Amino acid sequence: MIHTRFASAMAIAAGLLAGSLPLVQTAAAQDVIKIGVITDRVGSGKFYAEPVTRGIELGTKIINEKGGVLGKKIQLIIEDDQNRPDVSAAKARKLVDDGVVAILSNTGSPATQQAQTVSLETKTPHLTPANSADTLTTQLDNPWFFQTGPLASIQLATLMSYTKSRGFKKVAIVRDNSSLSQSFAESFRKGLEGVGIQVALEEVIPQGATSAVANLQKVRAEKVDAILQAGILGPEMLQFFRAYQQLGMKEPILGSYNLSIPAYLTMAKDLMDGVVFVDAYDDTKPEAKVFHDIYLKEYKEEPSSLPAYGWDGIHLIAAAITKAGSLDKEKIRAALASTQNFTGAIGAKGTSWSFRDGKRTGFDPQGAVVRVIKNNQHGPVVHAGQK
Amino acid sequence: MEDFLELTVSATASGCIYALMALSYLIVLRPTSIINFAIGEWAATGAFVGVGVLTTLLWPRLDAPYPVAVAIVLVVLGLLGWAVERLTVRPLVKRGAPVTSPILALLGVLVIFRETLTLLFGADPFPSPPPLGYRRLEIGPFAGAPQQFFIIAVTLTIFAGVWYFFERTVWGRAFEAVAINRRAAALMGINLGRVTALAFAAGAAVAGMAGLLISPLTSAHYMMGLPLAIQGFTALVIGGVGRVEGALLGGLILAFAEQLGARYLPIPSGLTLAFPFSLLILFLLLRPTGLIAPREVR
Repeated sequence: MIHTRFASAMAIAAGLLAGSLPLVQTAAAQDVIKIGVITDRVGSGKFYAEPVTRGIELGTKIINEKGGVLGKKIQLIIEDDQNRPDVSAAKARKLVDDGVVAILSNTGSPATQQAQTVSLETKTPHLTPANSADTLTTQLDNPWFFQTGPLASIQLATLMSYTKSRGFKKVAIVRDNSSLSQSFAESFRKGLEGVGIQVALEEVIPQGATSAVANLQKVRAEKVDAILQAGILGPEMLQFFRAYQQLGMKEPILGSYNLSIPAYLTMAKDLMDGVVFVDAYDDTKPEAKVFHDIYLKEYKEEPSSLPAYGWDGIHLIAAAITKAGSLDKEKIRAALASTQNFTGAIGAKGTSWSFRDGKRTGFDPQGAVVRVIKNNQHGPVVHAGQK
Repeated sequence: MEDFLELTVSATASGCIYALMALSYLIVLRPTSIINFAIGEWAATGAFVGVGVLTTLLWPRLDAPYPVAVAIVLVVLGLLGWAVERLTVRPLVKRGAPVTSPILALLGVLVIFRETLTLLFGADPFPSPPPLGYRRLEIGPFAGAPQQFFIIAVTLTIFAGVWYFFERTVWGRAFEAVAINRRAAALMGINLGRVTALAFAAGAAVAGMAGLLISPLTSAHYMMGLPLAIQGFTALVIGGVGRVEGALLGGLILAFAEQLGARYLPIPSGLTLAFPFSLLILFLLLRPTGLIAPREVR
């Protein structure tokens, strides 16, 4: 009997709790603005996704300290898709179910492409602040998706502009045998040939190689003016830099934006000084300085360009919500689409983002820069834009 | 000529790594007839243990000197090899399972090791400090990285030690006796279980050393095992499974074929990937016993 009474009391209490739960949730939901983040914490995209996410978290903290957006604090809900396209859509769905008003995608372009199927279906504003694939806004007609990262074509054109400005006539391309590296090398070759520069040879350092001496000896024998580094696999890139040092080579090395990932500076420590690479960050730009100082104060370390992408991304979303004046997803989408001349930490001096003529790629074509590595740090800008 | 001499150092160092991997296969294969494809992951584990001891990756106060790292890699990998034998191979052998069963079980061990490394250290490659620094080192007409000369010296020392063990010690003779005829060896009083356990422990220690030695050139990363396992197996097939010298010869031939081919053959460098597999197929078809045949039973 006692047991029965106890059970009944527990059942009533449970019922009351269950009944009150939606009320609690609703109250909590009204206090915050939920924004979803898809990152990669364990997979192949962790290198760049995690620093970008850190920038989003820092931006959110600063926005909240200044009073939030529409009087509410931003609450990030972060999901890990392991940079896997087959997981990314499921994570986007989970974020939508959790009540986010917008999603920021930080992992690889294929995963972001897949997550778009959910943002399109659920009509959720979706922004990638760092992805660079040119096809993200063309493969799927998704009016809810926006891209502010520097397009690969813009970065390539900027690097080619720099290469031509240096008067290089004959270059070598060195890559690994991953599909992304092959794609980089193909873009390099087309771009170089487009500006009349001869590609004397293309060397491949295969995955698992224990030496790149033979590859770089061939490059040295060709007496090229410069080497375009299109590798993306860390261990094979390390082989490249070790062999370059071992052979006492002096040819200038030009790298893709892949080299803006700070992890390479740790892995190939002191081997990359003098290497130039494409980036979209100029730390002498006033907006970049603001970001730099806040980041340094918060994390006690120098930021690379990657967190700045996230910083800008969350600020752009916050600006759109402010402009929309509500948490209505359609209004936020419309506010994003009407963004003009948004100046963030990312982009060359004097450039800004705009979604013009119905385009959903906002990066300024003159916004990419070429930087040089100095003292094992990403150093100053040596070239800006495509002109 | 300068190119050739530089390449000689580079190919010899790479060949030594392949040779160590082949030796690891051989040490396990001779007394047990088991091909252990998990040795690649043992090499990766050796690299990570080494980086952990040499840096502050595992513990803020580590940063130990190189000889300490070598000793710890040998002990840890030896214990892991011993544990793998006790937990996966021995139960199957005791139950009279066919020889393919331990090979398949060891493939499972491969996956467990790789996933454990990923969970513990993530997907990022870790730089591994070399004992002699990074620069161009010239010794007579030969030029290379100090680590390459170091790899060559350590490998030759290991091979000399293993050769001495097999040729001059009672335990080495016991290994050889088990390799020739397990049943007869058991009847002569040789403890088969102990020989097998020792073979796995020694094989793992040698593979771990290969991983430690190559990591300053490639970094330590969870995907480093499989290519090393393939290169080591190819070196073993080229040199022959019967003699220690075969593993060294096979490793050197493979590395020289790879690197001289990449440098001098008029083919796209991407095709050099096919060299190990072409040599593997060629030797399996034309000389399956390898270049150095085992000694005849007397």
